[in-house]
Amino acid sequence: MFYIDLLKKVIPSTTSSLKLIYFINLIPFGLLVYAFSISDFTLLNVAENSYVDDPIFYKVTSAWGSHEGSILLWVFLINLFGVFFLYKNQTVEIHKNLLFISTLFILYVIVSSNPFIYIEANENVLGLGLNPILQHFLFVIHPPTLFLGYIGLIVPFVISAHMLVNKNFSEKLFKEMLIWSKISWFFLTGGIVLGSYWAYSELGWGGWWFWDPVENISLIPWLLNTALIHSLQVSIKSNQLKLWSLNLGLYCFIASVFGTFLVRSNLIVSVHSFATDPLRGLFLIIIIAYLLAMTVRLNIKSISNFNEDSFNLISRESFLLLNNIFFICSALVVFIGTVYPLFSEMILKTSVSVGAPYYNFAFNLLLAPLVLFMAFAPQIDWGKHEKKDKQIPFIIIFSLLVCLVSYYYLNNFYFALSVFITVPLFLKSILVLKNNLKKNISFYSQWLAHLSIGFFIIAAVYTEQFDYEENLLFEKESTNEIKLQNNKTAIIKNITDKKFQNYQKISVDLLISDGQKEKELSPSKNIYQPSGQVTNEVSTTNNLFSQYYATISTIESNKVGINLVYKPFINLLWLSAIMLIFSIFLSVIKKR
Amino acid sequence: MKMSKSIYKLIIPFLIIHISVISFAGVNELSDYYKTIRCLVCEGQSIQESDTEFAINLKEQIQKKYNSGMPIKEINKELIKIYGEEISFDPPKNHIILWWTPLILLIIIFVFIRNKIRFFK
Amino acid sequence: MKRHLLLPVVGLVVLVVSVLFYFNQSTNKNNPRDEVSSLIFETPDFYNNKLIYENTLGEFYIINFFASWCKPCLAEHPLLMEMKKKGVKIIGINFRDDEENFKKWINDHGNPFEYILRDDGTIAYEMGLIGVPETFFIVNKIIQKKIQGPLFYEDVEKYL
Repeated sequence: MFYIDLLKKVIPSTTSSLKLIYFINLIPFGLLVYAFSISDFTLLNVAENSYVDDPIFYKVTSAWGSHEGSILLWVFLINLFGVFFLYKNQTVEIHKNLLFISTLFILYVIVSSNPFIYIEANENVLGLGLNPILQHFLFVIHPPTLFLGYIGLIVPFVISAHMLVNKNFSEKLFKEMLIWSKISWFFLTGGIVLGSYWAYSELGWGGWWFWDPVENISLIPWLLNTALIHSLQVSIKSNQLKLWSLNLGLYCFIASVFGTFLVRSNLIVSVHSFATDPLRGLFLIIIIAYLLAMTVRLNIKSISNFNEDSFNLISRESFLLLNNIFFICSALVVFIGTVYPLFSEMILKTSVSVGAPYYNFAFNLLLAPLVLFMAFAPQIDWGKHEKKDKQIPFIIIFSLLVCLVSYYYLNNFYFALSVFITVPLFLKSILVLKNNLKKNISFYSQWLAHLSIGFFIIAAVYTEQFDYEENLLFEKESTNEIKLQNNKTAIIKNITDKKFQNYQKISVDLLISDGQKEKELSPSKNIYQPSGQVTNEVSTTNNLFSQYYATISTIESNKVGINLVYKPFINLLWLSAIMLIFSIFLSVIKKR
Repeated sequence: MKMSKSIYKLIIPFLIIHISVISFAGVNELSDYYKTIRCLVCEGQSIQESDTEFAINLKEQIQKKYNSGMPIKEINKELIKIYGEEISFDPPKNHIILWWTPLILLIIIFVFIRNKIRFFK
Repeated sequence: MKRHLLLPVVGLVVLVVSVLFYFNQSTNKNNPRDEVSSLIFETPDFYNNKLIYENTLGEFYIINFFASWCKPCLAEHPLLMEMKKKGVKIIGINFRDDEENFKKWINDHGNPFEYILRDDGTIAYEMGLIGVPETFFIVNKIIQKKIQGPLFYEDVEKYL
């Protein structure tokens, strides 16, 4: 607050002064990117994170490869959002709040993670290089996209804080909040999907979701944001759940800051590790404490301005409320699962790992019923539902039949369950779309979003339940052909060794053939300079919706080990993710 | 009377799904089992996905025990005894706070809905 | 009325707890198993093909897992040699290694071990090995300490 008052005295016009401050705050990150692009090794951060022979593309992206750089990117994006938000809404009060939070993070940069630390210039310094695992095209877009998602939540945050402070609950502001939370949702989903695709295609772990703590903490804001988008509909259309939505708006951003805290303080073991410094964690705790305290204060102050909400049992509102509760509960479950190992180690003095089995259990419990309702809820009227839907029993019976048939043939419980909960959605979509072709874009974007969730569930469960793995060991002289489980043959063609600008690539050409058709794969190992670190490059080949996925497990002078995984329906999964992102894109642009 | 009937209509599908989820949850394949074991030298990977010496050896040893007829439950017990609970991504069920939270949340959901929804007059 | 306060209060409690965690980080992890695997006394020594009797080992001895392909094992090797000179009994367990490489390794660098067992991973599994090198300090037949990674002088100082 003090910060802006001071500047306001210097520059008279408020909107242009706001613009000026935003632009000033954008400069530091620009400078850092420039320093990386020219390999200015007088900066410690540049020397530690980039290498003189890296391609220019990776030099620039090294700017957010380190903790300091990524926090500066965080500040940059807050102000970028500020600039765009300024075009839509010129209320100075809201921007004051936004700038205040931006200032908190600038302070954080200055106090504990300053990337602009100079070292003695030395001609021999070539730089330590960007971690090779990060040298991938997706790395260039994954962190900024995810950050855009996290930081996009700041706009709903400041809007709801403003509404609670001024007790001005106008529909216009709620609508604005909805648009911005959708924009953030677009980036957040995009970032999560990109990260997941990156892990799948680059890390060579053979999976797309690991319930890694860092994945989890990106999921928490996503779940809360999804809840927010749904509850805002109620706030706008039927003037209820207002305090609820405003609180969600506040907690979404707090969740994303909390996620950053958990990662940066290195409290949890994860693939995404950064160097530790207790000050960093402490400072972020202070920021979170401040935001939470503010939330509590705003709640206490404005609680008398709200009426008690009440709905009819069967109404759109009640189903949206149900959706909200389920999403918030899943966010809580993810939170507990992520923090529990810490809790257990501190209090119970035993270390545990919480992974897929727990989350599968909890998500089946909480989200399976939700998906079932997703088929029918969008058809229910606002206020009070009068019509009786005669199709419901028919649809349920039909999906139960499909479920039993699939259980009989595939003998897999999880897949049968996923069929049971998604078939009503598909059926209902066909029935509804057939009768209502002339509705507007928002109608289509909503159906598309729900449908893609359905496809996603089917694809995800199928891939997880029916993938299979084979470890092939080829010996140079004797075996270069191995018969696979599905009666196809894997043949090794040749092994090549190439040198590139900053790495050496050893790749194996592999053929999978069933007599007539042949599929080629060429997994490789890259050896990077200067660290000598080795990365596994995955090779995939498509088979309609399915994929063969190969990595080199061992490579010696006389034998080659290949890890071959067959991933059925994995492409449907990525396709549904793209559909999901596209659907929110549709609903954002229709507002313009 | 009418209202209580219609809320049961909502609860019944939940119950069916939940009971079935709880009763079917469990692993029975060896490679599925590998997915639940943490590779202690890696960060966040399971031994199924890892190619480290630790993971390879553990897989071999488990395979040996499995082939000699030891049930997976017993193998898991032994593994936890040797390496501690950290080894398993599937925490023992005596971590009450962890395992019961989702169920408690579900109960809270129903209480909440009951308070929030105005039933037919 | 009070219901609306529930969420912020929960949030604050979570925060307080996480602050407590943050300043209470303990590093010691409990050792899940403290008795020595009986397999060690059922596997014959590589050189003279005899079983080891635990009673002949005395009050204090050391079990060290090593392999010829493991670079950190070489780093702690001189320390093990010195300990042998001081009379500490060390059982060496050769973990998942090629026999020729293993013999060459011992010939090149010297043998600090009282007994050497060759292991395909079974003993390692029973002892809860995480990676080579790893050293177990056994006092009165109970694993008193376990060190992952190469040994340093400070680790063994008090046993010499």
